[in-house]
This record gives sequence, structure tokens and C-alpha cells, in this order.
Amino acid sequence: MAAKKPKLAVWKFASCDGCQLSILDCEDELLTVASAVDIAYFPEATRAATRGPYDLSLVEGSITTPHDAERIHQVRRQSRYLVTIGACATAGGIQALRNFRDVKRFLSIVYARPDYIETLSKSTPIAEHVFVDYELRGCPVNKYQLLEVISALLNQRKPVIPNHAVCVECKLRQHVCVMVARGTPCLGPATQAGCGALCPGYARGCYGCFGPKESANPPALSAGLVRLGVTEDGLVRAFRSFNAAADVFRRESELHERPNP
Amino acid sequence: MSRTLTIDHVTRIEGHAKITVELDDEGRVADARFHVTQVRGFEKFVEGRPYYEMPAITARICGICPVSHLLASVKACDEIMAVRIPEPAQLLRQLLHCAQFVQSHALSFFYLSAPDLLLGMDGDPAARNVVGLAQKHPELARDGIALRKFGQQAIERLAGERVHPSWTVPGGVNKPLAAEDRDFILGELPIARSIARRTLKFFRGALDRYRDEIEHFGNQSTRYAALTGVDGNFAIYDGLLRFKDADGNLLATVKRPADYARWIGEATMPGTYLKAPYFKPVGYPAGIYRVGPLARLNVAEQCGTPEADAELAEYRQRFGRMPRSAFLFHYARLIEALYCIERMEQLLEEPDILSPHVRATAGVNALEGVGIAEAPRGVLIHHYRVDEQGAIRWANLIIATGHNNLAIRQSVKQVAERYLDGRQLTEGMLNRVQAVVRAFDPCLSCSTHALGLPPLEIRLLSAAGEVLHAVKV
Repeated sequence: MAAKKPKLAVWKFASCDGCQLSILDCEDELLTVASAVDIAYFPEATRAATRGPYDLSLVEGSITTPHDAERIHQVRRQSRYLVTIGACATAGGIQALRNFRDVKRFLSIVYARPDYIETLSKSTPIAEHVFVDYELRGCPVNKYQLLEVISALLNQRKPVIPNHAVCVECKLRQHVCVMVARGTPCLGPATQAGCGALCPGYARGCYGCFGPKESANPPALSAGLVRLGVTEDGLVRAFRSFNAAADVFRRESELHERPNP
Repeated sequence: MSRTLTIDHVTRIEGHAKITVELDDEGRVADARFHVTQVRGFEKFVEGRPYYEMPAITARICGICPVSHLLASVKACDEIMAVRIPEPAQLLRQLLHCAQFVQSHALSFFYLSAPDLLLGMDGDPAARNVVGLAQKHPELARDGIALRKFGQQAIERLAGERVHPSWTVPGGVNKPLAAEDRDFILGELPIARSIARRTLKFFRGALDRYRDEIEHFGNQSTRYAALTGVDGNFAIYDGLLRFKDADGNLLATVKRPADYARWIGEATMPGTYLKAPYFKPVGYPAGIYRVGPLARLNVAEQCGTPEADAELAEYRQRFGRMPRSAFLFHYARLIEALYCIERMEQLLEEPDILSPHVRATAGVNALEGVGIAEAPRGVLIHHYRVDEQGAIRWANLIIATGHNNLAIRQSVKQVAERYLDGRQLTEGMLNRVQAVVRAFDPCLSCSTHALGLPPLEIRLLSAAGEVLHAVKV
């Protein structure tokens, strides 16, 4: 008897769609993946929606509305494995910058009728709401890492995703260190690898798209950045971008924040 | 009794939306609404960030057309620095932009819309996707995948990453083009061009099957807005924003980007995060205008490349100088893809394209900057004000799907009037209502950050809000 194909679902919360589009970006692998799994729920690519339970749910985006906070529980209940893909789902994403501001005030400024808008005051990662089996980092995710996670989980093994710093990727690619050689501030030493050291390859400092690496030491990095002339405000901004709400980065940014007068 | 039909979650669009159709006492369509149900708040949380971070931050608005946001953003930043960027950087930015149009249009046509067009609006929804397309029309699906890949690879060659490129910076770009990358893209180009040609030929041949759709898909009289070159020809990276009426008369030319607010007003509507821009001289809500492929071809005199111009002439011969049907967005998109491929070839053959002079540097020399570019879905405006240190004090972003908001609403109403039977919810009707929305190729991530609701749900509500009938598809 032919084995039944595992059912894959792709869910979206507040995000830019870039991570789920990485699945469509697997051009050559796309039709192979599609033949190995039953794509049961993927509204961006198809109207078909097969009922759960699903063997693997990929979740993109962060939780920003009361409705989404309920919906993620429905997703969890229907999923054997739940994997978050990208910085929004894993750390709240760029929209978590609002966690440090007053959202009600935002809305009254941006929208003429803020009473039409229903939103939560914070953008939170999926793991704050439900149990997550695996978190795939990146803004956006690396498509090869995504393929690795899908095939690992469908084959009942642990995904092989490196959790060392971007610095290791720079060395592997023989990029000259932008911080040492040019004095360019760089988050590489505290950031998880995965992008292929993209920005240092363009002579720019890393800005932390993949979030904090395992056992990162941001205070030591901050001290180094201050020696390069980065101000306290600059430190707050550096740690407060695409992974602003990731614990390690959030704590570091708060340490350097001036108290409100 | 009046009723409301809600299509809760339009699939195969980038971002998520909900459609409500309101019926009157006789079961006729009274009104239609298009809702977007999430908000991310970019315009506010960027306050206080230095202007040069804006390209990287705003590229995160959208994973489908990050390049458009990057370009509108760096153009606004160029104005804040008050620099004229080096000519080779202009060319390289244009090249990147064309590559993104090709990939985005390929995504829209082959992955999102072709399943409806080729597998039949009334077909089995479970098979109506790119994988189903691959089974039924393997060559076409392969072409679609290859064309998108061409655009994505060119972006990767230029900017290092597909989804959120980091190569475009205020003042230009931060690395010249390498000869081997130019040769690589030039080498792939003929295949992309033949795919675009063949798809156009195929689409033209299939047009007769869609007479009904052409007639009823947002076949409406609206104004159009698009960038054009100084010569009035098609332009996507830089140019003058022009408005034309439904008969092709020029209504306005926005000479300086900073003047856009004289012509465009923004309104908020109930139940949606998507703002509704309108043509100011006419006012809200009558000031409907459309942007995107249909509008661009209507506003432009010519494309400016030989094959695309020949296609444009044929298109106009069939549908007139100012076609109106939203269905023709698909046709226009294919012509634009061909144009972009031709234009990429011209750009790659420019003698200066490998020049190392690709970046101007400067500090803050103006406290305000506006960048306007065409995104694949239409006009995109980034407007920033900064303080003396260059920190953003205020930002306004007007996104393509926003410009189309009022027109999408009107189109949904028109389709619903034609295909909706007040008592019956058929698969074909649901698909057509959704397909008209997809024809605009709306990007709701861009416009607000929407996405992801439970599976399609249609609800019949009484005037009092009581649920009379609910269907989950």
C-alpha cells in the first residue's frame, strides 16, 4: 500500500508574506516538494483547503489582533508539528517596534477613524501563545533552511540548522571583517548565521535579521560598538529592528534606553 | 429582507481580505465592500529612526515587492541628501526594478491567476493552483516557474538576496555590477524573452474565451494614474506622475514628487485598515482612480521598446486606446513583463553599466523628501520629514493597492450584480468575485499588513445582523 502523503499547511498572521513566498521561490524544488506532501492549506497559492489535522503547519507572522490570538490556538490543535518561519513568527517582527510605543496614539494619528481599527497593543511571537516545535529564524528565512526543516520533520529527525554567529559565515566566505578592518558597526557577533553573511559581503555591518544567536553576549558587543563611536541611542536602534522583541535583543536595547523625562 | 454576504478570506492574493456583498430587500446587490483586517503601523514606528535605515525597514513591508519599497525609499532619501545620484547607479536601480517587475508579474500571472484562467472558473478548487496547472499544462507551469526564476536570479545577482535586498542605498547602490553577473543575466535573457512572447501569444489566442469576463470584470469608467517619462512614454523607476480621465484626457501632471498631496487625498472607511486615496479635485468618494498595469498602459503614449510597442499596438487595436476592464490587467501585465525584459537588455548593454561610480555621499541637506516609483501593482509614494540630525519625524506611505481601493470596491459590486443569485452561492460565483479582486493583484501586506483568516466563509446576514445562513468552503 502506498504511504499516505503527509499534510502540510501554511498559515499567515501579521507579516509581509516574504517567508511563505520562499516556498514558491524553491522553483526547481517546488514541484518535488509538492509531490512529496499534500499541500492541504496554503491560501496564497490555492483555494483548496483540506480539513485538519495537519502533519506539519508552517506559521508565518506575529500575533497582533484579538482574533489572531484565538486563531493560533485552532492552528495548534490541528497540527502535529508547528514550525514558525521568520522573524515575525519567531520574535514579533519589525512590527514589534510598536511594543515600545503607545499604539492607541499611533492609530489616532494614522487613521481618521481609529475606532474602526481593532488591534492589540503588542506584536508577539507565536511561542508566547502556543507550544512551538521548531523556530526557523530570519528576515526572511533562508529557503534551503526551510527545505531542511520540512524534510527533517517529515522524516522524524531533528533539523540541522547551525546556531553559530554570522562571524563564522564571514570567515567561511572569506569576507574581511567590516568591524575590525573598517570600523563599521556590525551585529554579526551576536546574530545567528543563516543569511550567508550578506551585508558584510556588501561592506555593510550586519543588522541582525536572524536574531540573537545561541548564548550571545550583547553587552560585550555593545561595549565594542561604543568604542567605534556608536551612541547610546544608536545602540537602542541597533538592537531594536527586525528582532526587537527577541528577549536577548530587547533586554540589551532597554539597558541603553534613556528614561522618559 | 436585506442581506449581507461575506467572503471571509480571499485566497491566492498577497495578503488577506474579506468581501462583503450587501443585498437589498429584493435580493439585488445594494453595495459591496472590500475589507483588510490587520495593521502593522510602519508609518509611526519608524519615527526617530535615521532616514538611511528607511530602505531596509520599509522593504519589510512586503515580501513580494520589497524592491519597489526600497526604490521609493531611497529616492526619498536622495532628496533628503539633496544629491543627484551617479548615472550608472540610476541604470542599476532601473535594472533591479525591471527584474522585480518580471518576477512579480510572473508570480501574479502564473501562480495566482492562471489557475483560474486555464483550469476554468467553475473547476474543482482543490486542483486550481500552480500544482494543478503543472499537471494540466506542464509547459505553461514550467514557463511560469522559469520566468519568475529569471527575475529572482537577476535580483540575486544584483542585490544578493531575493526577498529583502540590501544593495540599494541612499545616494545610489553600494556595489558596482560585475562583468560576470552582467553576462550571466544577458545569457538568461533570451529564454525569458521567448517565454514572455509565447505566453502573450497563448493569452491572445485564449482571449475569446473570456468575453464575458472582459465585459463584466470591473469594466468601469475611472481615472488613471501612472508615472511616465518626460516624453509621455512608459516609465517605472522615475518620471512625472500623471492623471488621465477615462477618455484619455490629461487631468494633471505632478511635476515635483513633493506636490502629490495637491492631487491625492486619503480617506478612512469603516471595517478596513486600508485607506482610500482619491483624486482631490473631484473629492471623496467620487474621485476614483486606478493604478497598476492597466493604468500604466493607458496613461503612457508608448512603451519605448520595439516588441512591447508592437504588442501594445495590438492590445489597443482590440480594446481601444483606453481599455476599461479590470480583466485586462492580466494582458497588460504580460506586455509589461516583455517590456521589462527588453529594457533589461538595453540597460545591460549601456557602456556605463559596469562603472564603479555608483554612489554619492552626503548628509542631511533637506528636511523633507518624497520618492515616487511604480510598484508592479501601481504608484508607490514614500514621503518623509526629518530633523537636522536626519531622524524621521513623520512618514506617509501611499501604496498601490490603496489607490485601487475604491475601484476594487466598485468592481466587486459590478461582478456581484452579474453573477450573484441572491438565494444561491455557487462555486463559480464565489470564484468570480474573488478573481476580480485578484485581477488587481492587490498586495495587502503592503497596504496594511493583512493576512490569514479561517477558511473561506460566506455569511448571509439580515439587516439586523442575524445570521440567516453560513457556508464554509
